[in-house]
Amino acid sequence: MLVTVKILRYNPEKDAQPSYQTFQVEAEETDRVLDLLEKIKGEQDGSLSFRRSCGHGICGSDAMRINGMNRLACKTLVRDVGDQITVEPLLGLPKIKDLIVDMKPFFDHYRRVMPYFISDLPVPEDGRERLQSPEERLRFDDTTKCILCACCTTSCPSFWANDQYYGPAAIVNAHRFIFDSRDTATAERLQILAEEMGVWRCRTAFNCTEACPREIQITKAIAEVKQAILSGKV
Amino acid sequence: MSGQRSVKIKPNYEVIAWKWMRYTAIALIPLAWFHMILQDVLVGVHRIDLNYVQVRWAFWGWRVYDFFLLAFAFAHGVNGLRQVLMDYIHSEKARIWVSWGLLVFWLVISLIGAFAIIGGVRMPSS
Repeated sequence: MLVTVKILRYNPEKDAQPSYQTFQVEAEETDRVLDLLEKIKGEQDGSLSFRRSCGHGICGSDAMRINGMNRLACKTLVRDVGDQITVEPLLGLPKIKDLIVDMKPFFDHYRRVMPYFISDLPVPEDGRERLQSPEERLRFDDTTKCILCACCTTSCPSFWANDQYYGPAAIVNAHRFIFDSRDTATAERLQILAEEMGVWRCRTAFNCTEACPREIQITKAIAEVKQAILSGKV
Repeated sequence: MSGQRSVKIKPNYEVIAWKWMRYTAIALIPLAWFHMILQDVLVGVHRIDLNYVQVRWAFWGWRVYDFFLLAFAFAHGVNGLRQVLMDYIHSEKARIWVSWGLLVFWLVISLIGAFAIIGGVRMPSS
């Protein structure tokens, strides 16, 4: 089948504004949008720029807007989006070139919530594992799935309005440690998220939950963090 | 839930404001609905005049009711406006100025309303 791919192009050295360029590509309906982009870059225009790495929905490099929705190009098949495909860079982050955006603001917010294990408890006697029951592990299972692709944060209207908002991805990664029974920095993380640009900027639009390629219940996770701040219980 | 842990969070202005929005919203459901049904349906807006207000405020219970309606509805609305503005104001300094400005605005209008409610109605001598 012949697929029409409309791409929002931008070269900061030549263009004042981004503009659309259309390509025709021969494709199978089981091809991924990433395959189409590779075909265009390899056969029609080598200057087309986009990020990709694993190509299997794990690294989160190729997040972009496909037909108006944030998706991973490597997980989106042609049969899912039809033969008229519009591809744009993620919204809310500065454009660098074509489909590449500057992820620095995103990772700055991520770092702010201390997304790593912290424990001031003594090392277990056997010097090995800090044990946890299956129920305790289940409490934060969903939020361990995040691949930091930024689909959620860049689909959030609050983040579009004000990029100082920490955004869904940072909250999801804070949730992963806040509800971990072995972690002891719970209060510090909740205090950070209780700030003006923390969880209160979430308006429960649910865009993040719909955009997440890992199907994490993001709005629910944010609500759980809000509840933990209000009740002082995790 | 079993194994729940307690953590100590220092409540800040945002936490208090968030709780305030929920509490006032709950209070406003009966207050605003009953006010609307009484004034707009049972009495009718065309029959509300100074004489009606004087009769109504002769009973202190109505003054207390109106004071709560004013306090909750206006504070709820102004804080909602603050939340929306905070989304779009990117300078921290400007956010502080706007927050203080809205607080003064809320206080002045609430005080004027409170004085009116406490003062009651004095009919002009004919």
